[in-house]
Amino acid sequence: MNIDISHVVKIFNKKEVLQDVSLTAREGEILCLLGPSGAGKTTLIRLVTGGLRPDSGEITIGGKNFPDRETMKHIGFMPQNDAVYTDLSGMDNLLFFGRLFGLSGKELRRKAEDAIRWVDLGNDKEKLVSRYSGGMKKRLSLAVTLLHNPSILLLDEPTVGIDPVLRKSVWDRFEALRLEGKTIIVSTHVMDEAARCQRAALLYEGRLIENDTTENLLLKTQSGSLEDLFFMAQKAGGTL
Amino acid sequence: MKGLVIRILRQMGNDKRTLALMIAAPILILSLLYLLLGEGSYTPRISVCNDFPPALLAELRNQDAEVTILPDDMDKDIDIGIGDTISEENMNMDALLKDKTTDAVVTVDKDGMHIRMLESGSSKAASVTAAIKNAAAAVNPSSSMNLSFVYGKVDSTSFNSLGFVLLGVLSFFFVFIISGISFVRERETGTLERLMATPIRRMSVVGGYTVGFGILAAIQSVLMILYSRYVLGMQFEGPVWLAMLIMVLLAFTAVSLGAFVSIFANNEFQVMQFIPLVIVPQMFFSGLITIDTLPYGLGNISYLMPIYYGCSGLEKVMIKGFGFDGIWKELCMLMVFILVLFALNVLALKKYRKL
Repeated sequence: MNIDISHVVKIFNKKEVLQDVSLTAREGEILCLLGPSGAGKTTLIRLVTGGLRPDSGEITIGGKNFPDRETMKHIGFMPQNDAVYTDLSGMDNLLFFGRLFGLSGKELRRKAEDAIRWVDLGNDKEKLVSRYSGGMKKRLSLAVTLLHNPSILLLDEPTVGIDPVLRKSVWDRFEALRLEGKTIIVSTHVMDEAARCQRAALLYEGRLIENDTTENLLLKTQSGSLEDLFFMAQKAGGTL
Repeated sequence: MKGLVIRILRQMGNDKRTLALMIAAPILILSLLYLLLGEGSYTPRISVCNDFPPALLAELRNQDAEVTILPDDMDKDIDIGIGDTISEENMNMDALLKDKTTDAVVTVDKDGMHIRMLESGSSKAASVTAAIKNAAAAVNPSSSMNLSFVYGKVDSTSFNSLGFVLLGVLSFFFVFIISGISFVRERETGTLERLMATPIRRMSVVGGYTVGFGILAAIQSVLMILYSRYVLGMQFEGPVWLAMLIMVLLAFTAVSLGAFVSIFANNEFQVMQFIPLVIVPQMFFSGLITIDTLPYGLGNISYLMPIYYGCSGLEKVMIKGFGFDGIWKELCMLMVFILVLFALNVLALKKYRKL
């Protein structure tokens, strides 16, 4: 399923947090949302989860207007903070979110076991999350996102606060999911992660300053580093 | 919705401290109040002047009181009528009272009996007047007062006559705090946002919350009633199950009100700030103060307060011995509160997802 965002405007406290943003995330591709803090990455993702409504413009998923509860079944959302229940065990967290997606009985158990093993928490699944380390919580949060095998993944800074070894294995997993034909949107402010995406959208102060394949974007820079695009945007006073 | 209920019960099971607060704390407070407000058999110490009427003195000694006769030099022209300045002798008597060697000094002159005590409104003062009143009644039986009430007993302890207030307020208070804080925490940690990105209905979120915490609150209420009735021997004129039903409905109201208030709070601390605003005024209208006699029609405010309906229902069952026919109005009003708060909470979730 493709995600089409067209001419979306979002206003918070009379300030345009997103100004006329249009972009498409395609099946079998990872779309990377790049930008400094406060650029509007999280706002854009929350518009796609249905948590926010655009002030104008529209978002369609698989051709259907969003939000719609049928489509929501196919969405896996990973918020920026861990957003798991610390007074439950890792397994109970998965079972809870699984039930919300209509899973039950043996199927729920099996999927939860798969998901928790997939993030290497199999030995800690009965521990309370309050005893987890930061990286473990992050991995659990990822397991919750993937539990119901969603075809759309919305990942808000999934690799913040995790070590380089784990980061690499997480990205390897995203790549595997992409090859399965999932539509993936990842936000990050780590530029080198963009190299692992097929497409990148650069947000700067609520405007979409670039939106192209990663290859093409790299050609535009002199040093071969995407960061340059932001410096160029800054120099030009925000007009690129 | 079922998933949410299971989750809340699991969370509580894992959080032993909160569970203890909900179950053990009300029981502990009830026991403490039972000891504080229960049968207080205090023997007052009364000092009388040496020209005290002998008949009265004899009867006073028959009462449950420790009577001492003051030495002669203390009662020269004692005159402590209203508006009089304090004389030297008076000071002398007051010194005795301030030393706490006696609870009351009683003198008699042509204007009648004068009883001087240390502070007004103390329970010691009440037992002194009771002893003297009984002694006077024994001397002159026609002046004896025999009180009786349509509802309640003359000798019922404050623990019994205020029992319904304690049960209602305590259960409401604990449930309100726990539900309000859990809901605000859900928003703070971002799990609510995550919840709203799943296909769950807003109605199911509020319903699951209300039922999940409602079950815990109901267990708490039932335990509180059983403990007060069968362990502390609190007076129950009407059926115990009816009192439980009121308590359970009141607890559900508290869960919904806690969740509603959390909408206006950004963190746990701000939930606590609602206690003086939401809980304390309701306590005044719970039956602690007689509402009929309030000035400026202030009593009408009580119609907006869930605790008022809960406590007046409990009062009717526990003290007046009413059955279901007598309290169906209170039960209905509690249901109305639950439904209105439910609808408001479902609407408030629109902030997280318009659908």
